[in-house]
Amino acid sequence: MAKLVVDPVTRIEGHMRVEAKVEGGKIVDAWVSGTMWRGIETILKGRDPRDAWLFVSRVCGV
Amino acid sequence: MSEESIYESLLRKGVSRRDFLKFCSTSAMILGLSSSTVPKIAEALEKKERPSVVWLHFSECTGDSESVLRASKPSIAQVILDIVSLEYHETIMAPSGHAAEKSLKDIITKKKGKYIAVYEGAVPTADGGVYCFIGGHKAIDICKEVGSGAMANIAVGNCACFGGIPAANPNPTKCVGIKDILGGTVVNLAGCPMNAENFTAVVVHFVTFGTLPALDKHGRPLFAYGKCIHNNCERRPHFDQGQFVRQWGDMGHRLGWCLYEMGCKGPMAYQNCPTIRWNEGTSWPVQAGHPCIACASPNNWDDAYPFYKRMEGVPGVGWQANADKVGLGIAAATAAAVAAHGIIRAATRGKGPSDKEEGH
Repeated sequence: MAKLVVDPVTRIEGHMRVEAKVEGGKIVDAWVSGTMWRGIETILKGRDPRDAWLFVSRVCGV
Repeated sequence: MSEESIYESLLRKGVSRRDFLKFCSTSAMILGLSSSTVPKIAEALEKKERPSVVWLHFSECTGDSESVLRASKPSIAQVILDIVSLEYHETIMAPSGHAAEKSLKDIITKKKGKYIAVYEGAVPTADGGVYCFIGGHKAIDICKEVGSGAMANIAVGNCACFGGIPAANPNPTKCVGIKDILGGTVVNLAGCPMNAENFTAVVVHFVTFGTLPALDKHGRPLFAYGKCIHNNCERRPHFDQGQFVRQWGDMGHRLGWCLYEMGCKGPMAYQNCPTIRWNEGTSWPVQAGHPCIACASPNNWDDAYPFYKRMEGVPGVGWQANADKVGLGIAAATAAAVAAHGIIRAATRGKGPSDKEEGH
């Protein structure tokens, strides 16, 4: 059994890691992780709802 | 350094001599240099090799990369990618995983002291920096490793400059700007996102003169961040006339009046948006009818907040406390003057199109 790791995954926005379990040349299990967290939901708590779009539109700039 | 000169690279991509010289003139203009420097810029770009650039992403949204990739002057989107040799950039590079890690290692080893490091995104420091990992390494460690071997460090966007959105209260991951990690000289191309024209200008300055442009106390180049947005705003005459937008879609809004009453933070903001604009010089937020959110100011996500509330700064209503909080003495004093001025003008304004005429 081999374990395949791709980190960083490029040509995407943000940071991603892929791990795959390979048996007999086939992927039998896989895990994908986002490896960056900013807590924008936490930052939005208690703010004026009219301002929310300015924050959440910056979750991803692509 | 890559072997090809900038001019050769542009020629290969089909850029004409005329467009090349236009680009040199535009760069001189953005940098605030006289036209006599254009030949010097042209000569430098003709002869010098393209500087190698390592572009790193930390806690960010890639909006600054998008800003650069949408750059258009002299006439092509790839010009910025041609004036620099972009050796590492996760969003657009072909290799992934180990191959990507290897290319970063190769560059910073082989070109130690000869590459420009560009940073997009803040660096999280909470809990030992676990909130941003790339290739199994913490952002904070990558930042230190790449930064220590760079000949110049450029932070692009407010997250990399000052922490930006992830550092907004309560800053859950304790994000900080690049300068807080590296110390020393870091050029802060602030903004959300930064304007690609300013990035190009910094690179052109570096290639031509071998030095970074003069910076303000926040590390921002003076040529781009030396002037208050309010003072260069095309809606400024309406401010002076006491003509304010009072409600979204009212007559004043339709006529392009001043957005100060709607929360515009132009009086505390410093950037060249009104003159350089965005999207091939097409427009900028205030021109499009939205108040400025002071996106190039440190801590704007808290200090310019709430965005749709008129700036505090009316004398006698605690403007001095506000000045301490904002931490921008000049900006706050301006705000006070502006607020006082606004009230006087509003009280004394002459007859003009009013909200009552909205239905006509």
